Amino acid sequence: MKNIKNIALTLVCTAVLAACSGDDGKDGTVGTAGVQGEQGVAGVSNFVTAQDVVNTNAQHAYAAFADSLIAAKFLQEKVNELVQNPTEANFTAAKSAWLAAREPYGQTEVYRFREGPIDALTKNEAGEWVLVDGEGPEGAINAWPLAEALIDYTIDMDGNEGRGNAAVYQNGGNIIHDVTSFPVITKALLQEKFELDGEEANVTSGYHAVEFLLWGQDLNADLTYTANRDYTAGHRPVTDFYTAATIPADEANGRTCTSGEQGAQDAVCERRAQFLTAAADLLVDDLQNVVNAWKPGSGFHYSEYTKAENVDKSLASMFESMGRLSFGELAGERMSIAVRTDSQEDEHSCFSDNTHRDIWLNAKGVQNHYSGSYTKVDGEALIGASIHDLLVVKGHHELANELRAAFEATMATASVIDNTAKLGMSFDVQIQNEQNKQDVYATIQALVKQTELIQKAVDALGLEIDNSLKGDTEEDI
Amino acid sequence: MNFLNKYNYIAALLVTILLSACGGGSSESSNPTTGTPPDTSTPPDTVPDTSNHAFSITANDGLPPLLTDKADKNEHLSAGVATTTIQNNDAYSQAIPAIVQQPERDAVFKAGDHTFRSNHDGEGPLFNNTSCQGCHIKDGRGEVPSSSDEPMMSMFLRVGDSKGRIDPIYGDQIQVFGVIEGKSGPILAKYQGAINEGLSYGEAYTWVEYETQQGEFSDGESYTLRKPIYKVKDLAYGDFNEDVRLSARVTPHVYGSGLIESIPESSILVYADPNDSNNDGISGRAAYTSQPITGARELARFGQKAVTGSILQQISGAYRGDMGVTSSLNPEEPCTNLQPACDQQALRENNRHHNGVDLNNIDLAQVEFYNRTLAVPKRRGFDEASNTWNSDVLAGRGLFYKANCHSCHVPRHKTGKALGSVLGDVDLLQIKETKTNITALEDLVIYPYTDLLLHDMGGSCDVTRELASGESCTSGEQCVYVQRCDGLADGRPEGDATGVEWKTPPLWGIGLVKTVNPKATFLHDGRALTIEEAILWHGGEALAAQKSYINMTKAERSNLQAFLNSL
Repeated sequence: MKNIKNIALTLVCTAVLAACSGDDGKDGTVGTAGVQGEQGVAGVSNFVTAQDVVNTNAQHAYAAFADSLIAAKFLQEKVNELVQNPTEANFTAAKSAWLAAREPYGQTEVYRFREGPIDALTKNEAGEWVLVDGEGPEGAINAWPLAEALIDYTIDMDGNEGRGNAAVYQNGGNIIHDVTSFPVITKALLQEKFELDGEEANVTSGYHAVEFLLWGQDLNADLTYTANRDYTAGHRPVTDFYTAATIPADEANGRTCTSGEQGAQDAVCERRAQFLTAAADLLVDDLQNVVNAWKPGSGFHYSEYTKAENVDKSLASMFESMGRLSFGELAGERMSIAVRTDSQEDEHSCFSDNTHRDIWLNAKGVQNHYSGSYTKVDGEALIGASIHDLLVVKGHHELANELRAAFEATMATASVIDNTAKLGMSFDVQIQNEQNKQDVYATIQALVKQTELIQKAVDALGLEIDNSLKGDTEEDI
Repeated sequence: MNFLNKYNYIAALLVTILLSACGGGSSESSNPTTGTPPDTSTPPDTVPDTSNHAFSITANDGLPPLLTDKADKNEHLSAGVATTTIQNNDAYSQAIPAIVQQPERDAVFKAGDHTFRSNHDGEGPLFNNTSCQGCHIKDGRGEVPSSSDEPMMSMFLRVGDSKGRIDPIYGDQIQVFGVIEGKSGPILAKYQGAINEGLSYGEAYTWVEYETQQGEFSDGESYTLRKPIYKVKDLAYGDFNEDVRLSARVTPHVYGSGLIESIPESSILVYADPNDSNNDGISGRAAYTSQPITGARELARFGQKAVTGSILQQISGAYRGDMGVTSSLNPEEPCTNLQPACDQQALRENNRHHNGVDLNNIDLAQVEFYNRTLAVPKRRGFDEASNTWNSDVLAGRGLFYKANCHSCHVPRHKTGKALGSVLGDVDLLQIKETKTNITALEDLVIYPYTDLLLHDMGGSCDVTRELASGESCTSGEQCVYVQRCDGLADGRPEGDATGVEWKTPPLWGIGLVKTVNPKATFLHDGRALTIEEAILWHGGEALAAQKSYINMTKAERSNLQAFLNSL
């Protein structure tokens, strides 16, 4: 404790000195040769500007979305191998690929909440890519909770077959079982059925659709669905993908297509495979478009975002995204409701029991934004100009240090949830256990605290969160 | 003490009404409640021209007069800074920008949104839908089933008698679904099923059939309307009362509710004219209700017949009545004491979470906050760069005033204080003792196009019992209840409203109804397929306005529609 205090004091002193020197980088090399010598203040380049921070942020957007695309393509490949040859090994490989695909994507979510490509990318009437807030692919990629009962078989807590909207799905109450209404399951069908009839609850595409088709409903190990959950994730058997043409040569038990029951019709397994591949293909397409928009140099959003005249706006949008992801999305929608109401349905990746990673990765994304860093899936560490640097350069060294500490505190608490899950107690079980619930609450509190500081930083840098309606005063009619 | 206060309060209201009525016609009259000085920009020695004033009475909002021939500068921002610029199928689902910018408020909004979209533990035993969003589709309107084989999901029938009493067995609405232990999913009604088997079936199967009705504009062009006939069969708990009346309701939108809630009562009462003292044929009447926690009398401004005074009262009622989800405000399951099968099922519900009710106060307060802070979409037809309106929209605006639509669909209001929830301030994890005003809703000039008052819309209703052949009958499974009405009446009084009265619904956002939900239709029961059909259904106090529309040229009708679609 004492040590930490000392380090903090040292940092503060260093920073104070820097501020006293008036060294804001404007004096060129003379500035760096000032009080702190050639290494700059506190190991930070004195020349970091808002433009640098925004450039780094745009480059890392490209890196993280590109990683997501690479991982999604690998997932697509593994899914194709599974449906062509549904062996246990291929099934496991597809599930591993899904888990791996979530790692980069979770870190991109901090690029939401700013009218950026993920939330706003769409084509205008002339067929050109434009940003229209709310029209982007985010919902199609990552919306949840999933309407699994509209996709495939499920059971309810009474052990009866769950049904989607029987009025819409004539035969079986879900898309896979309703051959009459949906003869072929394609990408186009999923696009059309996503948010069916305008109702947000009917999510049938994206990561979580693929997840459900790989894992199935998160039942207990004895395949019951009860209020008291166990540690296991979904138990979909590989035979759900067996068709006459694809049953593996080494199938020893004579099993055929299953669909919540033995001996289901071949067509059901074929259609399940169609759904799975269509969902994976659509995911790749959607991510490809986002990657293109962020491509350094030629990506249309990359150039807009990093333009000199847009720098302040882009910087402000980084803070807005950090604050809104930390508080509203992660602490609020993804954690507080699940823990308060002990609701598995409100858990993010409920089929695979991967919610601990969603939480950790979202929090990591926010920290990355602050520290100007991102570690690629292949291990390459990208480190660029950071908000931290900028705050120090602008003389807000104490605040910078508080923020750094707050992000580290959040990561520390999020790691408790993450590690507890990796040690066998998944998030949906943690929220049923009084002691583990406290860990979840601690993470929420840490996120709340970091958001307060994010707001302070916005004020300190004199940024204005964009509001196109500003200037309208009530009396000015 | 309380009594006296209440008395004084009413007396004060009366004075306000009288003053505003007396002050009618003079733009010089000063405001009795806010003390805003009269407009001094006009030289005192000339008589100001008021011929282009939309209202002869003076609102007490301190704003310059609303003009019939010139749009306000920021009229394109339907809710001022609480307007959203989103115009796609999420247009009704946006938080007020000032809320988005405060992460701690944004978080509560999102949490409330999540609960609004979720199913709940302890739903049923009787219900119409399993989530708020299931009826308020994308925070907008519900829809009429596309065939009589489809159960009503986002509309329902209220039930009662011609005197305004609820049905002794079925209560005040027909829940078409039930929950039965051991059976999967929503259970539809089965004739006398609850009586014979003691199981909590849905109450009855309800559907609508339409008759086509022809009419003609003055220019000779014809139009058709769909006249609804409501039918009920499979009554699971026995017959209705002898004098039964039904009232069909399609779920209304929820955006903008917090702003509507924040309009001061006195500002609404300025427009009330219960005895039609100005002889314009329009007599807006205020409805009242009791505040559910304090019992205080307050203006009823929500519900299609103005029966609830606050969003909290409205949502807790909807949770119980529409979803069978109980809360601290409405702790009783939606079973009447003549529905033992419903009571039996209620005992099996899993209430473990929240002190014996299905929904805890944190969720309830978050959903309340969500509803209060939904923004209103910006209008279309206005070019901000050149500061000009499309000519058809502008022409239509003029016709809207000329036809006197604005007398009920009062365009402009100004919000006052937006007090914190009576439940207390809510954050992500708890409810606090404090009750902080939602300043993002306060002191805004808004354009909801409603007076929030009751109006006689004309018509009458008749309920019969018929076999499929149309032959009259008195009992039995094949003997269906049939309600036919002329005009908009439902024949079922509710709260302070009679069987011919409805509360003026707000029109803001109406132009995006089909963008948000292509299947949505118009009017309280969704009978109007287009905005034009909705206009043509207006009767009673609105008959003169409807006649004006009939007498318009085709070009004028098209301009008026362009205006309404721009809202």
